[in-house]
Amino acid sequence: MASNKTDIVNSRLNRRTVLKGAAALGVFGSSFPMPAIAQETTWTLANSMRSVANPYHASFAKGGEDFAKSIGAKYETLATEGNSEKGVSDIRALLQRTGGKLILNVDPNDSPDARVIVEEVKKAGGFVVTQWNKPDDLHPWDFDPNYVAHMSFDGVPTAEAIANELFKAFGGEGGIVALGGILSNVPAIERKLGLDNAIAKTNGKVTLLDFQPADWNEQKAFDITQAWLTRFGDQVKGVFAANDGMGMGALEALRQNGLAGKVPVVGIDGIDAAVTAIEAGEFAGTVAWDPIWTGGMGLAIPYAHATGKIDITKEPREHREFYGTGIIVSKDTVADYKNNPPKVDYNDLWGKATGQIQYRS
Amino acid sequence: MKPVSVLNGNLLRHWRRWAPVVVLLALCILISLFNGNFLTFGNFIRLLNSAAIPIVLCMGATFIILMGSIDLSIEGVVALTAVIVSLLVLNDISPYAISLWAVPIAVAVGGLMGLLNGILHVKLKTPSFMTTLGVGFAGVGIATTILGGATIRISDQTFRFLSLGRVFYIPMAVWIAAAAVAVAYVIQERTRLGRWLYAIGTDEMTARHAGIPIERTRILIFGVAGLFYGMGGVLAAAQFGQGHALISQGRLFTTITAVVVGGTALSGGVGSVINSVVGVFIVVVLANGLVLMGVEPYVQQGVQGLLIIAAVALALDRSRLDVVK
Repeated sequence: MASNKTDIVNSRLNRRTVLKGAAALGVFGSSFPMPAIAQETTWTLANSMRSVANPYHASFAKGGEDFAKSIGAKYETLATEGNSEKGVSDIRALLQRTGGKLILNVDPNDSPDARVIVEEVKKAGGFVVTQWNKPDDLHPWDFDPNYVAHMSFDGVPTAEAIANELFKAFGGEGGIVALGGILSNVPAIERKLGLDNAIAKTNGKVTLLDFQPADWNEQKAFDITQAWLTRFGDQVKGVFAANDGMGMGALEALRQNGLAGKVPVVGIDGIDAAVTAIEAGEFAGTVAWDPIWTGGMGLAIPYAHATGKIDITKEPREHREFYGTGIIVSKDTVADYKNNPPKVDYNDLWGKATGQIQYRS
Repeated sequence: MKPVSVLNGNLLRHWRRWAPVVVLLALCILISLFNGNFLTFGNFIRLLNSAAIPIVLCMGATFIILMGSIDLSIEGVVALTAVIVSLLVLNDISPYAISLWAVPIAVAVGGLMGLLNGILHVKLKTPSFMTTLGVGFAGVGIATTILGGATIRISDQTFRFLSLGRVFYIPMAVWIAAAAVAVAYVIQERTRLGRWLYAIGTDEMTARHAGIPIERTRILIFGVAGLFYGMGGVLAAAQFGQGHALISQGRLFTTITAVVVGGTALSGGVGSVINSVVGVFIVVVLANGLVLMGVEPYVQQGVQGLLIIAAVALALDRSRLDVVK
């Protein structure tokens, strides 16, 4: 999920200028007196994301809706449909309509969008939490109290944990091959780093036979895995894939060679196909993100501040920019994961946070 | 002096005909020098397996390119037909489970998409480039809308036999690809449609004066190409045991590359479906070989690009091209 996002993030720096222009227009527009329509007396809650067409964002929207229901607030879902301008203008319209009484949980379409959105929300007096994408130099504490927090997931420990699941599955000794994402993607770089850490900690027991970027592509992963089987034969004890899609490609290549279930595969993302493959004993594990939690908690934290339950400006920085927890799904935990989907406790605001966000570049 | 130059010209032309095969053999020899495993039976089967779907897609694309047009709808048609076939066999989302009967339906949908390409292109007189791009986007769009971002899991083992099954040690997908080549070859060599598409690709005005029904031929050829893409979609679904809107990602580029590397000219009229089979093997062997030789991933794409340009430069007969666009 995050994988697809960041390649776009990296490639459109000039959009920022466009959006700044758009923001300037917004300033001009709001200098007119506000229309005297009835202003909302209670907070309106909204989640903004790319689209509800993909399972991750569909769950993200559901998380927001669940929380709004639990407090009896009005709730709206905004979809950018991959269009930054639409994303920003929808948010601006909603700020206008709610008279600034808006709590927004946004997964910006593109990193630079975050700045424009935060500035708009601050100006209107609402509260905002951002997810995944923001410029490195944009921090919540610089926009107190309106920019409440930024949430993301750390690829390094996640990849390290899932790599360890892979090692466990083949007995902790032998060679593995690894499929990476697009070389310049932040998640791809983080996940490779996590894998390298895990291998280093085995003190030479596990060796990386080869690493190939398959660009998040199932078909490419299939062809590369086939070539590996020729090159390394039964030296391959396990396959690490930086996302589940590539993992599925590798699994099908193994199946063509009668090795499905004999050579374990791990992936990241927690797609249904991967969970099923874990049950079938063909995948050794995957990491499920927790979009219901991010979808709900991104509203619960600013709501707690808005209603005076906490003062966000007094919270430490690891409560303002933090990583969520990926859920490791493996052979041992898959039944539990399916029967008891992760629960969200809206009173435990940072219970699933795992440390302050680090900037590695 | 004159006879010598004519002789040279003929020799050159003769050599160019075989250039793709020479490139392929040279690649095979080079790779096997680096890694002896390349020449094993197991790897041979794996190469065939990787080549099967691209070959089926190339059969359709070659016809279009021979005609001097281009087809960018490949990924859209493959995505839509893969999703349709996945929904019709035993799966975790829909209740149909009509097993192999789903195959002709999906192939027919591919054919209809192709006909749509052809009709829009001919009747609206829009360039094939834009028409097929649009139809391709529509295909991916419909597939996305049907599934809403989800993935269908196929549990129909009879259907999956199309990819996983082995007959005389050779995967079923390879037999299907071979059949596709046979059908395409017969269309190219033994039917009027085949002769006409060369005539149109070489010089459309002359073909028109000769009384060839240009519009009907174009529409039919796009339809035939769609049938091949439909079959490609079926094989993709059978290979991965799933259907989703992104299953065809990257197929378009591989297919067009293989056709051109095989020696079929983008300007039309020159080439053959057999050339494209060789072209697919050049692309597949190269990808396989770069991993076998342990070439740094960072370097691979560069090497791939250079070798493809080299192959095209060797294979393409430019003696009849006045202008290269």
